[in-house]
Amino acid sequence: MATPLPAFVSRRRADWDALQGLLGRQRAGALKLEELRTLDTLYRRASADLAHTQTFYPGTDAHRFLNQLCGQAYAAIYQPPRERWPAVRAFFRREFPLTLRRELRFVGASAALFCLGLLLGAAVVLWEPRGAELLVPEGVRQYVAQGRMWTDDILSVAPPNSVASSIATNNLTVTIATFALGMLFGLGTLYMLVNNGVHIGAVTAHCVREGMGPGLFDFTAAHGPVELSIIVIAGGAGLMVGQALIDPGELPRGQALALRGREAVKLVLGCAPFLALIGVVEGYVSPGSLFPTWVKAGLGLSLGAVFWLYLLRAGRTDAALTGALPADSAS
Amino acid sequence: MSTATTPHLDVATPERVALTLPVAGIGYRCLAWLVDAALLFFFWIVAYFVFTLLVSDVLGVLRELSGLAQTLLVVGLFATQWLYWTLAEVFFHGQTAGKRLLGIRVVRMDGSPVGLYESAVRNLCRAVDFLPAAYATGCISMLLSRQHRRLGDLLAGTLLVREERIDLDKYTAAPASGVMGSSAVPAGASTRALTPEEVELVLAFLTRAPGLAPEVRQRLGARLVDRVGGLSGEARATVLATPERTESFLRERARAGV
Repeated sequence: MATPLPAFVSRRRADWDALQGLLGRQRAGALKLEELRTLDTLYRRASADLAHTQTFYPGTDAHRFLNQLCGQAYAAIYQPPRERWPAVRAFFRREFPLTLRRELRFVGASAALFCLGLLLGAAVVLWEPRGAELLVPEGVRQYVAQGRMWTDDILSVAPPNSVASSIATNNLTVTIATFALGMLFGLGTLYMLVNNGVHIGAVTAHCVREGMGPGLFDFTAAHGPVELSIIVIAGGAGLMVGQALIDPGELPRGQALALRGREAVKLVLGCAPFLALIGVVEGYVSPGSLFPTWVKAGLGLSLGAVFWLYLLRAGRTDAALTGALPADSAS
Repeated sequence: MSTATTPHLDVATPERVALTLPVAGIGYRCLAWLVDAALLFFFWIVAYFVFTLLVSDVLGVLRELSGLAQTLLVVGLFATQWLYWTLAEVFFHGQTAGKRLLGIRVVRMDGSPVGLYESAVRNLCRAVDFLPAAYATGCISMLLSRQHRRLGDLLAGTLLVREERIDLDKYTAAPASGVMGSSAVPAGASTRALTPEEVELVLAFLTRAPGLAPEVRQRLGARLVDRVGGLSGEARATVLATPERTESFLRERARAGV
């Protein structure tokens, strides 16, 4: 028969308290090498004690205490490697473009959906002008009816409910929602892509019909290519999630989801700095007539070209060196 | 007492021990979120007033925001909506301020701490979990899933575990002063060993006894003495004479187990 519980606790408690103290200091990041060794030893002893309580004193507070203590120590000892600046650099130099190229068919599907929406929206408005009443927001139609670009007001003194500024600041919302809505079996992403495509297509067609095509082109040329690329990439990430939900393959659905989620979020995270950059372009360069149209168009084209060149070329040589397959996470 | 019926996370460590960590339920999560949301709200109030004071244009300032400033505003909003949660979870061992206050933390499904990717996924998915309002989707998902995970947790492969404050002092507490330990156990006591459940029961009673109403204290003490003591009439009467004697006897019983 085992020793009574209070005797066991008072005999072993010193070790547990020491382990707790070390864990507290480990969280503060102030451990020396010898202390780390002690931590390891104490953790192993606490594990043995936990096994002992599991057998002889199950369901007691001592058992719960040891469970928790070992859980914390386990988390401290088996930590994932810390992401530091070199990891960030490696992510953008290699991992992000590699992931994108590996999942290129999802990005392609996303682009196809977006273009489908674009064509649909444009076709409806071009064939049936009254379709604009359905697809183009009221505010935009008012501006166009007055023959002005709604974007001109961005830099003016008091834009009341300016549609354009909300469009300009909406990129983040759209990007995140496009990705995250993939959780709804990919249907949310599908809706976001087609809906945005229809919206943009309809507005473009409406502007062209009313003779404001050049004005719209002037506004969108500088940031459009990269911005739409980013939304399409986020859509690809959302579709990846949806695919993992619908067809998890040989894994259980939960595991497949977690695995694909890790990959998909790389695409979204990789886009973040470019989203910020393009936001600056959209805020400074696109509105107003500070820059002539051909400068904006040239900037937009070159930015888009550089972006896609980076996505399709970066890290290619490294990949050939280390083999085609990416190293799995070591966790 | 049993931890098996409540939701929990089972971890098999390389040391060949099975950990069973309690999972944080919807109440803990809501409270932690409220604390964090209140913090962020407070931050924005302060930021707004500082900004207004700097421009010294009370309430007129928002109207004069240019497109760029609005962009910055939205970026800032997303920093508090997203960056705050992710950075806190990655750098403070899975705990935001609210989670720390409530004693819950985010871990992976295998009990190890979250990394950047998992945290990013689960926090990006707040956008979906929030739909259509007030985390309705997330709450439904938490209620339906076995381990109270919202959609973001499902996608990231994470969950929240709870940390309890467990006091081990009750096992080693000294007997109340004034009563000799040797005289606490009368000669007629049986030498049956107590089961761990009985020890827990006695110790739980002893920690709560000072706060109980006198008659309740007396009654519960008597029932426990009857259960663990195995005393005959006269010895039982002496043990039950005062609450101090009763509890001292119980403490000795639990301590020695004989």
